Amino acid sequence: MSILSSNYESGNFFDEMFVSPTEVRPHYQRLAGRLGTLAVAEFDQRRAAVDLAFLRRGVTFTVYHDDAGTERIFPFDLIPRVIPNQEWTRIEAGLIQRITALNLFLDDIYHGQKCLKDKIVPPALVLGAKHFRREFMNCTVPQGIYVHICGTDLIRDGAGNYLVLEDNLRCPSGASYMIENRAAMRRAFPNLFASSGVRPVEGYANELLKALLHIAPQRSDKPNVVLLTPGVYNSAYFEHCFLARQMGIPIVEGRDLVVRESHVFMRTTAGLEPVDVIYRRIDDDFLDPLVFRPDSMLGVPGLVNAYRAGHVALANSIGTGIADDKVIYAYVPKLIKYYLGEDAILPNVNTYLPSEPLDRKYVLENIEQLVVKAANEAGGYGMLIGPAATKAECETFRGLVAANPRNYIAQDPINLSRSPTWIDGKLEGRHIDLRPYILYGEKITVTPGGLTRVALRKGSLVVNSSQGGGSKDTWVLQGDQ
Amino acid sequence: MHLRILHRTTFTYAGKATDSFNEVRLRPLNDQTQCCRDFALQITPVTTANDYDDLNGNTIHYFDVPAAHSKLIIEAVSTIDTVPLADRAPVPSVLAAELENSPEREMFAEFYTSSHYVPLEVDLWREAHDALVDGRGDVWGDVRRLGGHIYRTFAYKPKATGVNTRANDALKLRAGVCQDFAHVHLGLCRSLGIPARYVSGYFFNNTRRPREIEASHAWIEAYIHNHGWVAYDPTHDRPADDRYVKVAVGRDYADIRPVNGTYRGAPTRSLKVEVTVRETAAPVLVTP
Amino acid sequence: MPAAKTPPARPQATVMLSRVAHSLYWMSRYIERAENLSRLLDVNLQLLLDFQGFTDTSIEEHWESILLSSGDEELFAQHYQTPDSRSVTEFFAFDPRNPNSIRSCVNAARENARMIRDQISAEMWETINELYLYLHDRNSKEVWASGGAGEFFNNVKRSAHLFQGLTASTYSRNEGWEFIEFGKYIERADKTTRILDVKYHILLPTASDVGGAVDTAQWQAVLRSASALEAYRRFYVSEILPWKAAEFLIFSDSFPRSLHFCVAQVDEFLRRILGDTSARPRTEAGRTSRRLLADLQSLTITEVLQEHGLHEFLEDVQKSLDTIGGEMMETTMFYPAESSADVQQQQQQQ
Repeated sequence: MSILSSNYESGNFFDEMFVSPTEVRPHYQRLAGRLGTLAVAEFDQRRAAVDLAFLRRGVTFTVYHDDAGTERIFPFDLIPRVIPNQEWTRIEAGLIQRITALNLFLDDIYHGQKCLKDKIVPPALVLGAKHFRREFMNCTVPQGIYVHICGTDLIRDGAGNYLVLEDNLRCPSGASYMIENRAAMRRAFPNLFASSGVRPVEGYANELLKALLHIAPQRSDKPNVVLLTPGVYNSAYFEHCFLARQMGIPIVEGRDLVVRESHVFMRTTAGLEPVDVIYRRIDDDFLDPLVFRPDSMLGVPGLVNAYRAGHVALANSIGTGIADDKVIYAYVPKLIKYYLGEDAILPNVNTYLPSEPLDRKYVLENIEQLVVKAANEAGGYGMLIGPAATKAECETFRGLVAANPRNYIAQDPINLSRSPTWIDGKLEGRHIDLRPYILYGEKITVTPGGLTRVALRKGSLVVNSSQGGGSKDTWVLQGDQ
Repeated sequence: MHLRILHRTTFTYAGKATDSFNEVRLRPLNDQTQCCRDFALQITPVTTANDYDDLNGNTIHYFDVPAAHSKLIIEAVSTIDTVPLADRAPVPSVLAAELENSPEREMFAEFYTSSHYVPLEVDLWREAHDALVDGRGDVWGDVRRLGGHIYRTFAYKPKATGVNTRANDALKLRAGVCQDFAHVHLGLCRSLGIPARYVSGYFFNNTRRPREIEASHAWIEAYIHNHGWVAYDPTHDRPADDRYVKVAVGRDYADIRPVNGTYRGAPTRSLKVEVTVRETAAPVLVTP
Repeated sequence: MPAAKTPPARPQATVMLSRVAHSLYWMSRYIERAENLSRLLDVNLQLLLDFQGFTDTSIEEHWESILLSSGDEELFAQHYQTPDSRSVTEFFAFDPRNPNSIRSCVNAARENARMIRDQISAEMWETINELYLYLHDRNSKEVWASGGAGEFFNNVKRSAHLFQGLTASTYSRNEGWEFIEFGKYIERADKTTRILDVKYHILLPTASDVGGAVDTAQWQAVLRSASALEAYRRFYVSEILPWKAAEFLIFSDSFPRSLHFCVAQVDEFLRRILGDTSARPRTEAGRTSRRLLADLQSLTITEVLQEHGLHEFLEDVQKSLDTIGGEMMETTMFYPAESSADVQQQQQQQ
């Protein structure tokens, strides 16, 4: 019995693969053909092999309770998500447009603040924001680029339109899974790849390195690029090591670096080695105890001043967090218009801002029907999904929003699209999102595909790894089928 | 007034300190109320300092001392001319409503929202309303009355609080030093929506007794629509006049730390701060 | 506009961070230490079981000598009353208060390995992790109760050997390897001096005891503690003459646990680490190592026993090894600020 013969229910959602229970979308047909020849037992075998390989290779993330860390595989579903070329072209253009505008926004915010003076964004929202780094005002950044690496989360609504859910401009993660997932798919379905015209993602590390080299200070023709990690106890440590190895660059912790007269050096057995570019996977707060949190043991004293003096480059720059603040998110379409004179190619999800009186009234009165998010939390925490929550939970959030309206946004719940996912021996629809990775170097490149995250629990909309999410490989086709 | 100020900070370590990275905000500002004629910064062990200006216009000098040392001395000497109150533009009367509706107020959002040392909690809001129980008047008048309220109902007690005490804690204690008085005053002003900022600097005490301890001082400035920032000292219940020298401004103490740094080594054995503020001769004007 | 930069051709980063080098060094030292300790305890426990000629006093003396040679006798005295088989085993195998106990050593080795996890192979990490879990799950009561002391020590040794074997077969021969080998041999040399020193601390036997059964058994134990009994017999004759055993363990240039052999390795790897190919070493570590090696190449056992005294000689060797290790760390650390010192803040109130 082939895996496709189970009764698949699309439900009331946009299904990525099926137009109707009997009709597969054109860009999925080749895949469907292959899957149709696979018996359930064989499919399960390949699945088990992939899981084992992941565990062995250490493709894990770590969840820490007490001292012991449990290493978990980020569950991987073998059914890929397929995107035809014409859809991708539009996504790519929209992402490039968005990051261009956000970069201009950051440059403006940290210099003349014209968009505040022109009241495009209420000044109070920016000046009072947690991630607005006033210490970084009026500093020049190499090549004028603030955001070198961005992961933007996209979802599809009931009509199949792509919408931007949020941008991640500080330390976006997951690119390593994108690469490992692709490698796993190749091993599981070697023939299918050769004939499917799937665009490769393996060039990511190379593109990333190029983007990092692009911002190196002019000193040497062999710039020293390093990856700064918080260390083994960070849940994304695997990814840090993975990317460093793929790029062939050293991985360092804060204590391996030292600043001397505003230059940054690495402590090696052969002496102090100059550092030119730091790909930092540490948040601003912990970067430099002299300027930010003084209790941070992860950072490098004097690093900000070295950056300010132009002696070292950081990717992403300091202060990008203001642009992925969920409240600022609501203004991004306006910012695109303001800086580029264009309409946003990829629309936002309709968002209510409790900091505005009319929106606040609406949110407080209708909270049971809305999705409410804290402006600066990540990982799905600090979030209320009204329709799925208890009365008590709604009340709590009502209180939180009323007390601190600037720190929340609300959105109409979107019926996220679903993709067939292998659950307990049969194919079932599960909600997914998409995180493509955008690299801003000499050119802006968007890796074809990205990380498709899937909410594995039935009916759940939460896709984060720490809360029961998994991932799929993402195939962007060269053509349209 | 013409003033000469010496500010010397000495850290003595229990053992050796290494890899010392520091930022200091010791250079007096220049604006319509004062002009810093001369400034010199000397550090022992000898090291070069670079500087930059932050978004509030404060000058920050930064330097590092990598080698082992058992003492760090940071000495700043400045000469400043200050403008007497009588020569400054008078403060206009601005009503609370006018302030709230003024277009530029939004650009000062960081000065009327919560900050690290001044979280705008309900206690501060209540205190502000109690202090202005007769209702609000013009903004500057309210600022003065709030300052006076603190002056009358708080006790100046050096040991009651520490460098990390926040405004709401000081409010509960109803005691503290000038840093706390300033934080509370900020809390009260901000609770009423008045943009207000923390000022760090010095104060020339012309009634100083010979051995009386001098230190750096803290007060506040409030924003008056169509006028600018005007200073008030809640510790002494008076507007800041030409005896006051501003060094740095910010949302609260966290933005203006006079001396701030990290190092590796034994905990500090002692921290000594010496401040002297003296009148000096008027500058000689060279006529061509 | 700068020209587009092409990524450098190197496939792997060629610099070695000081912290990584030192973690490799200590990981290696701690594993070697645990291995030596297991063997020492195993052999001596076996000795006391096998040989009937020991009185209660001589048993206590025997354990005391082991404590004295380890240098941890004061620490032991703080927590235990009398040195006997059980208390000493507890102290050396499991006691967390003893930073040199087998369990403490394996903990430390694992922590160091964890810090540099990306440098070592998955098998290396799994082996060290399994040994850690094995020790975690056991305490001395269980070990004694099941009468499995011998099996326990064997398991520890085997794990350590497996780890070292995996390292030899999966770790690339680069700068990291040099630190691993340097650490292993410096530790081994130190432990060999202590194994030899055990015999010194046993009160000088009376004339009638010399060459007697107890004396011979003890020297046999010394050789066994260094896994040297068979090698000794192949080299000399089957009779165990104390001065010949000492000579073998100090001067043999072919037996891999002898001082001479170990220090030759230490010297070689130190030269590679410091990149010092000159005839006269340029660093304190290099000079100390060269001097020590020269002594081991040229002194005779008669000179050691008569002019220096065995104990004094061994103490000097230990001091030299300390200097070499310490100086190497200082030289490759790029600057010694990395210690227990925490970053402090300085602020003042207004």
